[in-house]
Amino acid sequence: MTLGIAAQWFAFVAFSLIGLAGALGMATTMSMFRSGIFLMASFLGVAGLFILLSADLLSLLQIMMYIGGMLVMILFMVLFSHDPGGAMMAAMKMARLEKFFSLGIKPMRMDHGGSESHEQDEGNDHQSEGHHQENGGEQHEEHRSHGEKHQHQRAHHEQQAGKGDGDGQGGHGEHGGHEEQGGHGGMDMSMTTPVKRHAAVLAALMGLLLVGLLLARPNWAVMDATPNPNSAQQVGSLLMGKYMMAFEGAGLLILLGIFGAVWLARPGEHPGTESRDAPVAEDGQPASLREDRLQPIVPGRRRLSVLVPHDIHADRDGDHELADVPEESAADKEQPSEHPHHEQDEHNQHSQHKT
Amino acid sequence: MGVTLTALAVLGALAGGALLTAWFEPKLKRANEPGPAAPIRFAPEPKLENADRWMYLAGPVLVLTAVALGMVVVPFGPGLVGQDLGIGVFYFIVVLDFAVLGLSLGGWGADTKNAIEVYYRATAQLVSYVVPLGLAYIGAIMMARSLSTIQIVERQRELWYIIPQPIGFALYVVTGLMQAYRAPFLEPFSSRIGHGVLSAFGGWKLLFWRVAMSGLLFLVAAMGAVLYLGGWHGPWLPAPVWMLIKTFALMALMLWLGRKVPPLSTARMLELSWKILTPVGLLNVLIVGGLILLGVGQK
Repeated sequence: MTLGIAAQWFAFVAFSLIGLAGALGMATTMSMFRSGIFLMASFLGVAGLFILLSADLLSLLQIMMYIGGMLVMILFMVLFSHDPGGAMMAAMKMARLEKFFSLGIKPMRMDHGGSESHEQDEGNDHQSEGHHQENGGEQHEEHRSHGEKHQHQRAHHEQQAGKGDGDGQGGHGEHGGHEEQGGHGGMDMSMTTPVKRHAAVLAALMGLLLVGLLLARPNWAVMDATPNPNSAQQVGSLLMGKYMMAFEGAGLLILLGIFGAVWLARPGEHPGTESRDAPVAEDGQPASLREDRLQPIVPGRRRLSVLVPHDIHADRDGDHELADVPEESAADKEQPSEHPHHEQDEHNQHSQHKT
Repeated sequence: MGVTLTALAVLGALAGGALLTAWFEPKLKRANEPGPAAPIRFAPEPKLENADRWMYLAGPVLVLTAVALGMVVVPFGPGLVGQDLGIGVFYFIVVLDFAVLGLSLGGWGADTKNAIEVYYRATAQLVSYVVPLGLAYIGAIMMARSLSTIQIVERQRELWYIIPQPIGFALYVVTGLMQAYRAPFLEPFSSRIGHGVLSAFGGWKLLFWRVAMSGLLFLVAAMGAVLYLGGWHGPWLPAPVWMLIKTFALMALMLWLGRKVPPLSTARMLELSWKILTPVGLLNVLIVGGLILLGVGQK
């Protein structure tokens, strides 16, 4: 099936726009989650361009890699990020573009301070900070004049604010840089940096240069041969024939990379800080997967009993009385109801209260 | 057929398939069993305080889009297919990934405790099924020497692939259940998190979820019929009827088998996938390669 020239142009423009808007959105939105999704959209736009070039296999590979890969990547980002949904960032003053790509995110109200660490933030030393964030640019002047002092306080504050305040710290540091260079920002914690404008100009120039080079290139080879419908088969036989060594070599390298990652992630002996040791101690003896069972759906079927060795859980809870309660309850106490895997949880916790 | 007509026909087939599935599936289940087909009343939209509105909207729309796109390559007879793509089966695998994306976006966008859990679980489920699922497809693809769904069915005129490849078929049944979020693998729709996204949506969006989730099961079963049960081939009856019979027979088998096993948590599902299903899938590929060398299924 061939498309008319108008349809081709339309598709080209549409996919290019998706690619560009995705990239722009990724860089400007306040929500980290959205940022990842925008990046995915950008890659999907590129996949659309591949289809226009009759490289359907490549396009589908692109989609497959980026949907699954990006979802997992975003998941890890959510695990380690302070404000993945952007509610906190959306309460700041935003540039127009940032506002556009953050549409629909409900800003967190600062006076209530929905997040614990942020409350700590405000309670710590600078009252003006919370105030400042709400009023945005109006407080700008005052803020700048107090710049020195604030920086000092910030340094102090950064030491105090616990871990997990990643976003906030990054924002503060950035802003400090601002003031030193006599920057134009009044947006605390915003993603604006004084070099942003220069970077944009530079990027536009680079883009123009590339387009210019492409246009100036003489003699575009134009082919009107119909693309091979069996391109997938050809790619397959080339990968397994001519380029087998390179293909398998790449596979081997990736395997080695995985081994390396596993080796790096093994528990180490180096001394840790208190804050680092806390989660390690918590996960030191994770419950075995064998106990991670759910209630059977079919009624009348015997419930699989949860067998957990006493000593592990007694140790972990530091609650030796627990060793006396029935095994199931001990297991459930140790994994509180945040773990929705355990269909039996509620059940057993009730029975535990009775015992 | 013009593009518009084809698109309409595909949507019609999807609607019909989803409707049949929605009617058929509850017959095999207990009254209030959790899962994507859990009996939840159609309700007005719940009030969500912190929803990320665009992601919230994108969820159900994207899932339904994914299912509709997947429907394009499912053949119901010789020539009775939305579009016979040269890489149809691969396209099918890729396009159904959008359903996971939609589930994630919807779950995240709703921004309730339960809905966000859906995102985590759906992603973990994707990670656990994607490799064995691919291996389950590869057996049939190797024997048919084609990625086109039409070609795969044509090559099974004499021999359904379930006969030389029982392991591949079993693998498909298990991974298909994972892909369709049905009985033992229904963590993202578990009743412990309020049936997942189903409780965070209402109105037309909930209807979208319903249609998409029924359609997903239908698609998974139909693709199983194409890959292992000889698609539309069969005596006496017309081709589409055979295709439907096989699809629903496979669906019944999957749902029935799925309910025989206690539900697996995400962790155990991952364990099952990586420690058992993936090696079995590789073994199947090896066996199928040997069979092909012996000339089984080749003319």
